[in-house]
Amino acid sequence: MRLAVTELLRRPGRFVLAGVVLTLISLLLMLLGGLLDGLIASSTGAYRAQPGDLISYSSRSENSLVRSRITASDRSVVSQTPGVQAVGGLGSIQLGARPGDDPKSRDPFATVLFGYELAPRGLPATPPAQGSVYADDVLAGDGVAVGDTLLLGPQRSPVKVRGFVTDTRYAGQASLWGSLATWRAVTTENRPGQTPGDTVQALIVETGASPPATVAQTIDEATDGRTTTLTVTRATQELPGVAQQTATFNQIIGVTVLVALVVVALFFALITVERTAQYGLLKAIGASGFTLFGGLIAQAIAVTLVAAAIGVGAAVVFAAVLPPGAIPFQATPARLAGNVGLMLLASVFGCAFSLRRVLRIDPASAIGS
Amino acid sequence: MLALREIRRSLVRFGLLVAAIALLVFLILFQQALRDGLITSFVGGIRNQSAPVLVYNVDALNALQASSISPDLERKISQAEGVGRTARVGERTFTAMVDGGDTQDASVIGTDDRQLFHPTELSKGRRPSARAEAVGSDADFAVGDKVEIVPAEGGGSVTITVVGVAEDIQLSVTPTLFTDLETFGDAVRAANPDVTEVPPNAIAVAPENGASPESVVAAINASSPDADALTRADAAASSPGVAQVTRSFQVIFLLYGLVVPLVTGLFFLILTLQKAPSLTLLRAVGARKAVLVRSLLTQVVLIVGLGLVIGVALFFPLSQSRVGGLPLGFSSAAVISWSVLLLFLALISAVASLRRVLRIDPIQATRGGGVR
Repeated sequence: MRLAVTELLRRPGRFVLAGVVLTLISLLLMLLGGLLDGLIASSTGAYRAQPGDLISYSSRSENSLVRSRITASDRSVVSQTPGVQAVGGLGSIQLGARPGDDPKSRDPFATVLFGYELAPRGLPATPPAQGSVYADDVLAGDGVAVGDTLLLGPQRSPVKVRGFVTDTRYAGQASLWGSLATWRAVTTENRPGQTPGDTVQALIVETGASPPATVAQTIDEATDGRTTTLTVTRATQELPGVAQQTATFNQIIGVTVLVALVVVALFFALITVERTAQYGLLKAIGASGFTLFGGLIAQAIAVTLVAAAIGVGAAVVFAAVLPPGAIPFQATPARLAGNVGLMLLASVFGCAFSLRRVLRIDPASAIGS
Repeated sequence: MLALREIRRSLVRFGLLVAAIALLVFLILFQQALRDGLITSFVGGIRNQSAPVLVYNVDALNALQASSISPDLERKISQAEGVGRTARVGERTFTAMVDGGDTQDASVIGTDDRQLFHPTELSKGRRPSARAEAVGSDADFAVGDKVEIVPAEGGGSVTITVVGVAEDIQLSVTPTLFTDLETFGDAVRAANPDVTEVPPNAIAVAPENGASPESVVAAINASSPDADALTRADAAASSPGVAQVTRSFQVIFLLYGLVVPLVTGLFFLILTLQKAPSLTLLRAVGARKAVLVRSLLTQVVLIVGLGLVIGVALFFPLSQSRVGGLPLGFSSAAVISWSVLLLFLALISAVASLRRVLRIDPIQATRGGGVR
């Protein structure tokens, strides 16, 4: 093992090219993982911030918030269902937002205005007064500040920004959070003929100590199937594109790890061939095959760790310097650590290709070399 | 031949390199197909429709469904210079059932013009000639399908008959139907009986004779600060998500494009260093430099070529399927251009090895050295 480390320290140039290839693969893994996390985060933030355990849609909406309509009477039924502790309405509308001092701007921000009753994470328990909103901090990156007025939609409905909230984007757009009254007023002004009246798009349900899955079933039975109630986690996964994006990116990440494995295998197989005589000599003076193989693994792990560290660093820097909205990218510790783990696994398994060759080396060959 | 004999005697080494290149080629082609499929499924309905110019409300940020055109804006658009025919366009996603089957999402696009904003080519069937007839995306519908819009409580019944199908006309990765504006309005009211008015989402424009789409776009945009006119190609390219998807994949392709030549270059460089004594001996017994160079380049072409063939062979069956609902496709142009590019990059990457081979001094054979 000491010999392997000494070689790494004294002849690092021998490992540079393999390190460069592994670094590129590491960058690819970090980029792919970051893109996946960024895409998912920008689509699901508004749901992940919800305080409740369940979300009820109208059953004919195919779990689409935009198409769902819950009437006041169904809301009343849900509120009285056993196991339900609290119920809050949720409404949404996607509109362009312009700065208050630039009502003719041709470049509005893409926003989703949510009306809520049960406060999502980071928002005050009582929704702000009509005409006021909290904004996702993505908008702060666009120059929006507390106290600013935003003009929403073709009718330029004014809302005042009271503060910011983090990680609440929806469908790739920045969210604005106000009361249901604000949502109703803005919708009525900007979507002629589609006044929500006393309906909401969905209900957020808190179940307290009762098991959410059981309560969900009870709610749907109580409304005679007019609602479809899902846990917040499941509703998040069912948002358009989330499952497909996750599956596709994971497949790509899997094959990229496989490429890393083959590259490590290739490189260390070549190194083993190069060192056959050297290994024969070491075996002749008493080193076991497994000791030599351990050294090989140590070198593979060291090169991989350096490559992975560069990949991690690059991902963190990339996430920090990326202009908001350019590419959906997120560098989360879990993803970065997971990718490092995958690369280390690939390097160890890649080295295993050389195991047979190392064990097969005959110490007697040292005599002839 | 020297090159082939060496490959035959070191099958594992060369096999691993072929496997690495094949996997990388497979990944590149798969991701290219995925990107193309994703973009086509996002905006095929805009890219492959007949209107040369589309006008959204600027608030919609180029999202058809989020746009709403007021009567005043519609009037300004139709009066802009160079505007010939116009059509109102409506688009929503509904819950639907095909022939009484399971519920699914369906995007319905309605227009009040028989020519504007309809699929440019049909792959089967005919164009609609009566109310509630439609052309559907051929990946999702067949001619004769009856598509029922699932009504909300109190909503009326709307059934659309598919009379024709067309390729690559999906919107937002959703099964898509092109029908008339009345049927579209009926569907909106069925899904939400409280709706009292259904404004168009966009206006499709055909320039009058002699006017170019670009000049009409400029004239419409100058007519109102709320109008966002775009040519068909721009409307497709600037749809939400398309630019982000394109940029993200470009970065990924760039990295893969670097990995392939680096892996190949690294492999042959190490191999050349390992073979240095043998190559020196060959030079000492009279082998010309050209023979060794030819041998190296033959190996690069063979190994990368084999990797390309295996990578394409792995990709082909996958390209005939759908991944996460996205139709993939086998693009010969993509395969050829990537093959040429990767082979070229691999040959470039062999330059380091070539330089080493060219620097071999035959006299070193007498001293036990080789490559310097």
